[in-house]
Amino acid sequence: MTITPVILSSTVADDEPPVSLWRDAWHRLLRNKLAVAGLAVVILLAFVAVFGPWLTPYDFLTQDLNARNQAPSLAHLFGTDDLGRDVFSRVVYGTRTAFVVAIVVTAIAVVIGVALGAMAGFFGGMFDRIVMWFTDMTMSVPNLLLVVVINASLKTPITAWMEARYQATLNPFYRETIWVDFLLVFGSMALISWPPYARLVRAQVLSIRGRPYVTAARALGLTNRLILMRYIVPNAIGPLIVSVSAGLGTAMVLESAFSFLGVGVNPPTPSWGNMISDGLRVWQHYPHLLAAPAAVLGLATVAFSFLGDGLNDALNPRGSK
Amino acid sequence: MTAPADNKPLLDVRGLTIEIDTRRGPAVIVDGINLTVGKGETVGVVGESGCGKSLTMLSLVRLLPNKIRVKSGTAEFAGRDLLKMSKSELRQVRGGKIGFVFQDPMTSLNPVMRIGDQLCEPLIYHRNMSKADARERAIELLRLVGIPGPEQRIEAYPHELSGGMRQRVMIAIGLACDPELLIADEPTTALDVTIQAQIVDLVKDLRKKLNMSVVWITHDLALIAGLVDRVAVLYAGTVVEDAPVNELFARPTHPYTRGLLASIPKLSDERASRLSSIGGTPPEPGRRPKGCPFAPRCALAESVCHERVPVLEPVAGSTGHRVACFVAQRQMMEAA
Repeated sequence: MTITPVILSSTVADDEPPVSLWRDAWHRLLRNKLAVAGLAVVILLAFVAVFGPWLTPYDFLTQDLNARNQAPSLAHLFGTDDLGRDVFSRVVYGTRTAFVVAIVVTAIAVVIGVALGAMAGFFGGMFDRIVMWFTDMTMSVPNLLLVVVINASLKTPITAWMEARYQATLNPFYRETIWVDFLLVFGSMALISWPPYARLVRAQVLSIRGRPYVTAARALGLTNRLILMRYIVPNAIGPLIVSVSAGLGTAMVLESAFSFLGVGVNPPTPSWGNMISDGLRVWQHYPHLLAAPAAVLGLATVAFSFLGDGLNDALNPRGSK
Repeated sequence: MTAPADNKPLLDVRGLTIEIDTRRGPAVIVDGINLTVGKGETVGVVGESGCGKSLTMLSLVRLLPNKIRVKSGTAEFAGRDLLKMSKSELRQVRGGKIGFVFQDPMTSLNPVMRIGDQLCEPLIYHRNMSKADARERAIELLRLVGIPGPEQRIEAYPHELSGGMRQRVMIAIGLACDPELLIADEPTTALDVTIQAQIVDLVKDLRKKLNMSVVWITHDLALIAGLVDRVAVLYAGTVVEDAPVNELFARPTHPYTRGLLASIPKLSDERASRLSSIGGTPPEPGRRPKGCPFAPRCALAESVCHERVPVLEPVAGSTGHRVACFVAQRQMMEAA
């Protein structure tokens, strides 16, 4: 086929570089002061979570029984607890726990939620109905109750099985109960976290799949998988990002709530939740034991929620102003 | 006007009937359409909103919306029935052999994908091109449809282009795989008048260059007068008149076609006159009259028009001109 310009008239004469939707959104985000503050705190906490072990003067487990229940000082920024452990170090390690739990749980929940929600919205019919039954069912059970039930009913048999495996193989791996903790915490939290994502994505897909560009993509003979992954999900991602940002904060609170109730990450692994739980018993005498983890948890939650709000405005240009 | 190289048409639609599910049961919206498109031929499909033009074309590649389906009929494309193909065969036809250009360029492009990527998609998928080759070809296509600076524009997102430019991109996507047939569904409706003329000229030029067949769906007879070889006039889901374009303008035979032509405003009209229009509205799906669907609005309707449905029959004294009208047929017989 020969190529010659057909018509040279043009309505696009400007030479400005193409601006992507994401870059646009990024600029809008940077104009929002609260969102930038939230983002800064989130980045700081993430930094602390990653490099925590190199930042803390003490190990989170080291007990100093000569320095129990000390008030905050230069040696111990947030004081020490009833076993003489440095609270600052424990809060820093707790950040790591909170981030690991929040990221892993949200990632599992988002993968399940997006996959099920997108397919339910796209294919409709029986599949859609079954997925929605499951989401409704899961959402109708109180979260805490569900997690407590899962933990209570699964923890004992799994621990017993691990112990039996250890007796049989003498492999020290089976004595690492921390993995059971994490597995149960992650699993049960992901189980209660995915339905909102599935619903959100399904609603998005339902509105997007009827848009002309999806019909146009079908008319190009593209496969359903390609259409779903390149035309529908990317267009549904804006609200999802907002929801994920808020969801990370929620997951941290959830993890703390479970630890507080004793069904989350078990001591001695530091978690803000179990530190708050410990601190609550003695707060009249040693308020710093409660204040330090509670303040950091509050700060993290507020930061994620500001960031989420900012992202919401940035990704929906029509919504702001 | 180029005539088809051989007698077998590229697209041969026969007795295509489409129905929609309503609360009162299925209702016919396209009733036994016959339509042929020769190789290299450009056919205009004309009719008012809701007459089934778009549905007919969408049904060819089986993209009908939910609750609307083909009830009967065949649609042979290059000898194969599109309506009976397997899904994988059909995917090869979509985009590969039949290109589509849709009505609204504002919403027919994926807003979060660069136009270059959207152009490359069918090339990579249908032609198994490498990314680099597809990109090369995409630039070529953008140049072909008259987009200036294609090397830069390929990186643009749809919202950075004007409506006319976007429609050019849509056309480029439709042309990406050298289709044998380009179906343009009111491609200029959403554009302003000067841009409309540019798009018409563009397609006119391209179909000669690429030797492809074009079906141009529109409600604007005047717009396509210089573009198409043949016009099929649709009314309420049936073809009422089918004629070479010059013949149609010189001797419109069906009362509806005459009404359509009369309603094109003319600059030569001296006095400020009222725009001519056809009284009444087309029948709703499910409430089609018993006889000719146009009879209730037709000034010439006779008793037979309300009783029986006219079929397309050749008009005496011309080739390729067919009309479905009892009155017109009788008048011609009397004249002969």
